[in-house]
Amino acid sequence: MQRAERRLRRFLEERVLARLSGLTLAARRPMLGTVAGIHPSPHRGSSVEFAEYRKYVEGDDLRRLDWRAYGRSDRFYVKEFESDTNLRCCLVVDTSGSMGYGSKGVTKIEYARRLAGTLAYLAAQQGDAVGLACVADGVVTNIPPRRNPAHLTAIFDALEAIEPKGTTRLVPILHELAETIRQRALVVIVSDLFAEPEPLRGAFQHLRFRKHDVAAFHLLDRQELRFEFRRPVRFVDLEGGPALLAEPNEIAERYHKALGAYLEGLTRVVRESAVDYQRVVTDQEYEQVLSRFLVGRMKARGVRR
Amino acid sequence: MSFLQPGMLLALPLALLPVLIHLINQRRYQNVPWAAMMFLRAATRMSRGWARIRQWLILAVRVGALVALVIAVARPLAGGWLGGVGGGRADTTILVVDRSASMGARSVGSGATKLERGLAQLAGALEAVGSGRWVLIESGTGRPRELESPAALRGLAALGVTAGTADLPGMLEAARSYLVENRVGRAEIWILSDLRAADWDGEGGRWPALRDGFLSFPQSVRFHVLADPETEPGNVGVRVSGVRLREGGEGVELLVTVVLTRDEREAGPRMVPVRFELDGVRSELSVEMSGSRQELRDHRIVLGQGAKRGWGRVSIPSDGEPSDDEFYFVYDEPAVRRTAVVAEDPRAVEAIELAAGIAPEGGLRCEVERVGREQVGALDWESLGLLVWQGELPEGEDAERIRGYLGRGGVALFLPPRGGGGPEFMGFKWGAWRAEAEGWAVESWRSDHDLLARTSGGAPLPVGTLRVRRVCEVEGELTPLAMLAGGVPLLGRVSTEGGGAYVLGTTVAAGDSSLAVDGVVLYVMVHRALAAGAAVLGRTRMVDAGAESMEGSGWVRLAGREGSVSSEYPIQAGVYEQAERLWAVNRRAVEDEPAILDGEQLGGLFRGLRWIRVDAGGEDRPALIEEIWRAFLVAMLVLLVGEAALCLPKRAVGVGRGELVS
Repeated sequence: MQRAERRLRRFLEERVLARLSGLTLAARRPMLGTVAGIHPSPHRGSSVEFAEYRKYVEGDDLRRLDWRAYGRSDRFYVKEFESDTNLRCCLVVDTSGSMGYGSKGVTKIEYARRLAGTLAYLAAQQGDAVGLACVADGVVTNIPPRRNPAHLTAIFDALEAIEPKGTTRLVPILHELAETIRQRALVVIVSDLFAEPEPLRGAFQHLRFRKHDVAAFHLLDRQELRFEFRRPVRFVDLEGGPALLAEPNEIAERYHKALGAYLEGLTRVVRESAVDYQRVVTDQEYEQVLSRFLVGRMKARGVRR
Repeated sequence: MSFLQPGMLLALPLALLPVLIHLINQRRYQNVPWAAMMFLRAATRMSRGWARIRQWLILAVRVGALVALVIAVARPLAGGWLGGVGGGRADTTILVVDRSASMGARSVGSGATKLERGLAQLAGALEAVGSGRWVLIESGTGRPRELESPAALRGLAALGVTAGTADLPGMLEAARSYLVENRVGRAEIWILSDLRAADWDGEGGRWPALRDGFLSFPQSVRFHVLADPETEPGNVGVRVSGVRLREGGEGVELLVTVVLTRDEREAGPRMVPVRFELDGVRSELSVEMSGSRQELRDHRIVLGQGAKRGWGRVSIPSDGEPSDDEFYFVYDEPAVRRTAVVAEDPRAVEAIELAAGIAPEGGLRCEVERVGREQVGALDWESLGLLVWQGELPEGEDAERIRGYLGRGGVALFLPPRGGGGPEFMGFKWGAWRAEAEGWAVESWRSDHDLLARTSGGAPLPVGTLRVRRVCEVEGELTPLAMLAGGVPLLGRVSTEGGGAYVLGTTVAAGDSSLAVDGVVLYVMVHRALAAGAAVLGRTRMVDAGAESMEGSGWVRLAGREGSVSSEYPIQAGVYEQAERLWAVNRRAVEDEPAILDGEQLGGLFRGLRWIRVDAGGEDRPALIEEIWRAFLVAMLVLLVGEAALCLPKRAVGVGRGELVS
């Protein structure tokens, strides 16, 4: 069934999935899953990984007493182990009008579709629950995380159906999602993040407050970075705002200045908000982007708080 | 600024191409869907001051580069005295060159004379400008002659200055006549002069007619005045004001009166060595000058035995104006001063006969001859110095003889007939007698020149003491020299081509006037007239340059500037001899007057005409004009480099391009 799905979805590539399946989508923080899994949990459990010694209190199972410790110190200690669980991965995909931009080849929405689809597949593959929230000026589609493999089909369907439309209201929507997604989930935001950095800081910190592990793919087009035009251009706002006629040579310097200030502010915000931030230019191979993302997370794995 | 190819300036509107392209470009925008509008809006909100200025600067620099290119192609000339953008090539260019003595002064800041320097500058400038025809009018001849090219002016510089004055109005009149006769189109008149007031004759009354003449031309006539009025300070000039022979104890002595003049700007005493050269013998003495004028009166030079005729030269060390540093003189035994008296009433001319017979100085011989009217035809007109005619004015053959006599330089004095009236002669005739018992006094008289001028010491003649009881009116054109109360002319001068014809309105009889009683005025009048008439009789003459023509051939230069051609002898200072005649030619007295036209006076002379003045300048200005297209090409290149620098894109501020993608 899944094999058939993969053939049908144009945003999935079998070879990419095969290569990336060797990597794990790891959580950087303890997750609260419903079943046993491969991710750390905040609770003590029965894994093989030692956690700590604790003084024996009445009612504890005598089988868990560490007799060797008793022999050395003549006191009763209980030996505790880490608990492993699955995670809930919530993919937040920006479907506002600005995501429809693509100067050459792939648009940002298409790129987001590939990232989200591949991540959903990988998460489902390792037994994690996957959900999807498509957002623009509101939450367009919301599919809660489930670990049912059939649920993946619904997510792929939703991804296939998304269209870049509407204005961006990312900040209030992230606040809304922070409240609605259950605690301790992996929230992956795929967006061009065209919002002021400081308001975004509030949204990210709200998600962090709810103990979510936040990752963000910041999608940018090469032309948006370079801003190379020769003739006067009438810039038509993809989100329906008023058009702007400008002489590129005249405005380029100030455009780069504004862009530079924005990126600098955003970098500071994501660093201070502990967001796993990935700046992506859409002419990059998404496989490499995902590979770098997954490897980076595997290195940060196991930090329990 | 002037241009050799002004037609190319028609391409100047091309300089607006960048503006045009900019405007077209503004209209040729393309629609681009765009996502990152927040940065665009932020960019438009930012200060646009420098960006806008930069855009305008780029546009201005592009326009400037094109302007510089067009100007360079039009071949601009530095100097600016070609008269503006409309320059171009004239059909006829007339060069009016002042070769007067004062043009021999050294130009300030340069070793060359004003003439040499000016001609070199003119030649250089005109070769660059070009013209259909070149015509030269120089003050030596005053007549137009055509030149092959301006380069021929350099040959003219070799001719050097003359001792004469330049008649600028006359030369411009010749230029005007040339333009009329040859029906030329667009004409340029270039005048090279040192602006001496005497040369320009601004008060002479010929300028209004001249201006009207040029203004009436349908074609464009433009004047260019290349002025070099500055002179080096400390100039001293020398002039001989009198030469006479005297029998002295050691033999015949020559008495020479020398006048030294110097620059009024110089103050304080100064020793000037004056050198006399006589028959190859030189002598020198120093004269101390304390004022601007110093006279060395009757400097005595003893002549050899039997040497009563010869020539000499007085000179001082060469200074900034070499042409006034020497003066030639000639001497000879004075000719007999013969006076012929034709009178119907002997009493009316008796005192004149007496006065004419008394020599004013030793060594002079004066003879008086009384002839009747019927004997006039038998007079020896060639040796006559003064003709006194009392009675009805001459008619017929007599009139013709007297006209001929006046024409060769003779002097005549006419007194009225007893009855008054009579025929007309040379534009005047006698009217009726008027009488006044108390007698009229002389109300005004010309004391600056002619018969009633002051003495050489500056004292006025006692004309005011005369009383005239009877006067005969004169009808016709006269130049009055003395007027009685009531505006009746007493003495006047008739306009003649040569010599002098004076008309006295009364006689010297005791009942008519006190001229005989107060004999000083009469004596001076008679001998001045006699001296003027006798001056043309002698074998030696001291003449002003350009004032007399040397008739006949075979003139030989005894002294003077080497290389001058015989046709220029009358205008070149020197001593010339032909048969028995010995002439000394010197500069005119007006050449020693330093008065110079100021800008306002010059502007007044050219009022209403298109003219431009440029000063020849000092050493730092070797050429009048210079092609400066290279400067404009360099300017264009600099502007293009500036444009490139302004167009260079700047690095993004804050985050570099390479740092945008982590």
